[in-house]
Amino acid sequence: MVHISDGILSLPVLAAGWAITIALIAVVLWWSKRKGSIVEEIPRLSVITSAFFVASLFHIAIGPTSVHLILNGLMGVTLGILAYPAIFIGLLLQAFLFGHGGITVLGVNTIDMGVPALVAHGIFKVGNKLIPSESITSKAVLGALAGGIAVALAVLLTAGMLCTLGIEYAWAIKALILYHIPIIVIETVIVGSVVAFLARVKPELIGSFGLGGERK
Amino acid sequence: MNGKRVFAIFVMLLVLSCLSISTVSAHRLHIVHKLSEIEIEAYFGGGTPCRDANVNVYDKEGNLYIDGVTDDEGKFRFSPKIGMDEYKVVVEAVHMPGHKAETVINLSQEAAGAGAGGMGTEMPLYTRAIAGFGYLIGLAGAAMAYMGWKLKRKYENQ
Repeated sequence: MVHISDGILSLPVLAAGWAITIALIAVVLWWSKRKGSIVEEIPRLSVITSAFFVASLFHIAIGPTSVHLILNGLMGVTLGILAYPAIFIGLLLQAFLFGHGGITVLGVNTIDMGVPALVAHGIFKVGNKLIPSESITSKAVLGALAGGIAVALAVLLTAGMLCTLGIEYAWAIKALILYHIPIIVIETVIVGSVVAFLARVKPELIGSFGLGGERK
Repeated sequence: MNGKRVFAIFVMLLVLSCLSISTVSAHRLHIVHKLSEIEIEAYFGGGTPCRDANVNVYDKEGNLYIDGVTDDEGKFRFSPKIGMDEYKVVVEAVHMPGHKAETVINLSQEAAGAGAGGMGTEMPLYTRAIAGFGYLIGLAGAAMAYMGWKLKRKYENQ
């Protein structure tokens, strides 16, 4: 539902979406390259992107509609800033294989989900610096917070994009936000528990821990 | 007088029986034809029907022919107009703002293809999910191959 289909938004919005997405991907890749080899990250990126890719198939029926998981918060927490290009790849595959979203709106949709993922990464990283405790609970709570905020932001950004269409979409935007409240709750729990699990068994999968730090 | 009357009744009976015989025993087969409706069905990936969606049907020239909303099963029916065999159907989901799809129905081509367009042409969902995994695994594999090649070169240089 946070995927906007082809043929809805106006051309300037679509063009701006693509421009911003391409610019952000370039910045992210340049930035990551300074920190180490991106190629070494690709296997890890693929694993998390697979999760993101299929998450959109888990539909939850709410009222007259059904919404699906987004998991962009998880992407941000686990992949750091590389979540942005990873979300782009995930959305590209979703557009081609599931018909979620579309090619012309790919730029806009990547912004809607990718920017909140970057924010989630920021929250998790800064939170971990502020609370230097090694306890898994505090990390899980931070992860949960980041996951919830990422979905809420994604919904708000999508609503904002639809706002460019004019006032007749206002009620639809209200519905969009309302129906996603359960998703925000569910993803808060999911990201919290995934972070708790990974912090215990495979902390190197959580990229936000090591960016600029342990990793090479 | 009386004979004439009997004769008249006899003739009438004969005519009536002839009429009834011709309809009953000849098993006449009637064909009445009626152009019925075109039914469209809108559903989301995974099979959830798209309810209460706005449907607009346009003719070849792009003029609005008919509009309406889908029912609980995501279906919408409309009668085609004689002489018009191409329609563009645009469905816009109401409960999921931002979802829109369109298709072109061509009746003259449809007739050859058993009359069901769209449905069933899609790959099953799990194959598409596996296809997606395939791309991602391929990507990871390519990266690993590159890393391996780089390591090998580093080793050879030493």
